[in-house]
Amino acid sequence: MDLAFTPEEQAFRQEVRTWVEANLPKDLAAKVHGAQRLSRDDMQGWAKILGKKGWLGYGWPTQFGGPGWSAIQKHLFEEECAMAGAPRIIPFGPVMVAPVIMAFGNDEQQKRFLPGIASGDVWWSQGYSEPGAGSDLASVKTTAVREGDHYIVNGQKTWTTLGQFGDWIFCLVRTDNSGKPQTGVSFLLIDMKSPGVSVRPIKLLDGECEVNEVWFDNVKVPANNLVGEENKGWNYAKYLLAHERTNIADVNRAKRELERLKRIAKAEGVYDDHRFRDQIALLEVDIVALEMMVLRVLSAETSGKSSLDIAGLLKIRGSEIQQRYAELMMLAAGPSSLPFIAEAMEAGWQGDAALGLTQFPGGDTSNAPLASTYFNMRKTTIYGGSNEVQRNIVAQTVFG
Amino acid sequence: MDFNFSDEQVQLGDAIGRWADKAYTFERRTGIVQSGGFSKEAYQEMAELGLTGLVTSADFDGMDMGATECMIALEKIGSALVLEPIAHTWVASLVLQNMASDALQTAWLPKLASGEAFVALATTEKRARYRLDACAATASNNTITGVKHVVVGAAQADALLVNAMQGGSQALYLVDAKATGVRIESYTTQDGASAADVYFDNASATLVTANGLEAVQLMRDVGIAYLCAEGVGIMEKTLAMTVDYMNTRKQFGIEIAKFQALRHRAADVKMALELARSMSYYATLKLEAPAPERTVAMARAKVQLGNSMRFVGQQCVQLHGGIGVTDEYAVSHYFKRLTQMEMSCGDTMHHLGEVSKHMQDSAGVFA
Repeated sequence: MDLAFTPEEQAFRQEVRTWVEANLPKDLAAKVHGAQRLSRDDMQGWAKILGKKGWLGYGWPTQFGGPGWSAIQKHLFEEECAMAGAPRIIPFGPVMVAPVIMAFGNDEQQKRFLPGIASGDVWWSQGYSEPGAGSDLASVKTTAVREGDHYIVNGQKTWTTLGQFGDWIFCLVRTDNSGKPQTGVSFLLIDMKSPGVSVRPIKLLDGECEVNEVWFDNVKVPANNLVGEENKGWNYAKYLLAHERTNIADVNRAKRELERLKRIAKAEGVYDDHRFRDQIALLEVDIVALEMMVLRVLSAETSGKSSLDIAGLLKIRGSEIQQRYAELMMLAAGPSSLPFIAEAMEAGWQGDAALGLTQFPGGDTSNAPLASTYFNMRKTTIYGGSNEVQRNIVAQTVFG
Repeated sequence: MDFNFSDEQVQLGDAIGRWADKAYTFERRTGIVQSGGFSKEAYQEMAELGLTGLVTSADFDGMDMGATECMIALEKIGSALVLEPIAHTWVASLVLQNMASDALQTAWLPKLASGEAFVALATTEKRARYRLDACAATASNNTITGVKHVVVGAAQADALLVNAMQGGSQALYLVDAKATGVRIESYTTQDGASAADVYFDNASATLVTANGLEAVQLMRDVGIAYLCAEGVGIMEKTLAMTVDYMNTRKQFGIEIAKFQALRHRAADVKMALELARSMSYYATLKLEAPAPERTVAMARAKVQLGNSMRFVGQQCVQLHGGIGVTDEYAVSHYFKRLTQMEMSCGDTMHHLGEVSKHMQDSAGVFA
């Protein structure tokens, strides 16, 4: 047993740190540290910088042009990016659909799709949830009917994160109704510029449009956009969910946000209030415990010696912690978090002449996103398999 | 970074696990509780397994093993709810080995390693609660006067490690349990183990170290890492017993393990257990860190363990239903032991205060 990273791993961390420092735009890092609104260009700009270095597909094996890093190297990369204030890598392309294309796609699909994902040029969206298929994902109703060389797709996807920016979308579609729900699902790649695709943003409780409805009205999709075999899509979806299990805990981001929470608490004068400070201390303990749990999973994955039945716990705990730091930041600012001026979440906001405001009423504009972030974070225990579904899965391992 | 155990470490754990399962049954334990809570025979059996000398250097006939081996051993010992405080022997051995004179080491370490002698840790005072810098006992001319509270295994001890104020600062002493001026009033604690309040009235004492505060801090920190490991072993067994029960107990015509409300509670118990195990690893691995970092790490670990032990104990009793609150059934004894451990080596609120006091701008496993 050894907690220390090897000299090679430490050198790797330093290499990543130096590179990120030199290549992450300072104004972008400032926006991330301040939880200000990121534009499509902010997010994709960073993706393209990483892509140029060959690090956007940081989890990819070398045979597909990835760096071939170990689980620990991937973790160190994520940590360095998070602590430096890099935007999160939008996972749908490089982290989610790419591994499925690598594992189950054919040569032609790999050649056609992977380069655009690796470079950050093509924005992918995820077409999983439907109005009637949330936690019960296998009950998707969007249909794909084979007609010659094409599928004709009809139906509706929802909660499509950042779908308003999407170039392509990977979808779970129903190709057979005869058996169990899981057995008639296929995995289809759809060009969002195809006629019949329409996207309607959904305004969420924080006032932002982070998710969308995506409608398919007789959309013609070439049959060679089917990944793997027809009706085997559920297996591929499960493979995707099993992939990148540790990153879902987002512990590196939690460490960065804990630093920010302390800054806010100091600025608002509650850091020296024992009742408040102890809440931060408890969060700190919980983040360290989560990080140790992540490291245990990484160690098990790297050595291949032992399997751990705790990966399901990471999503539950990680999401709870995200909600807690957001909550404490809001409470630290107190009433100062209440004024709602959506524009003040933009970097460099200089007041609103029309409203006669020369400054943000909640004090510094850094207070502007606090309540919005809190409201936004309520999603974390709902998405990616709600925490109640996760508890069902954990219970399965407990009771056998 | 590697959390795998070596083959030798796995074998050590297996050997202790076999002894705990076969020799330290719940029936035997019940008998030991009834006869005072400390069996010299059971302690000797652990000595024969090499456990009493696990951390002692080979120069003093010990096994010279590290914190990881202690952790592995204590998880097994915890799972059988062993009453005899083997971890206290390791704390005593380490503090003597690190801080005592050669003469004291030569006199005591081999006896401790062989199991021939037992040394109790008398460093807790009633009014000090969990503060290490509060000590009312006094020392002068190598005699000690004062009272120590809830000293585990005092009635069975050959000697006691005692902290006392000597000229304005704490020093640590070794006191012969049979010395004139030592009075031991013993009782069993809620978990069935043997403990005592020990009264010192000008009792003759040998100085271990004049750096008493450093010594009690070391004892506290090592004690926390050991407690974490033992707690993990106890919680793991508590959950296993609960799962077995839920898989067989039927209500409304089906096994209660099929009810989602109960399954989710069990998932939460598993969460508490695995967070605790993660922090037990952390505590064990941070014992090597420089003292200030080590102390903060132990405080963090104890907060997690305290919260986990309370949750697991309470919820596993609840999941059992009525049988969980009977004396006859084992789970209540696991619950009581977990409860008692929260109040050993500083409780959760105490250590949360320590974490809070020492918070830095950045935090994480490596900071």
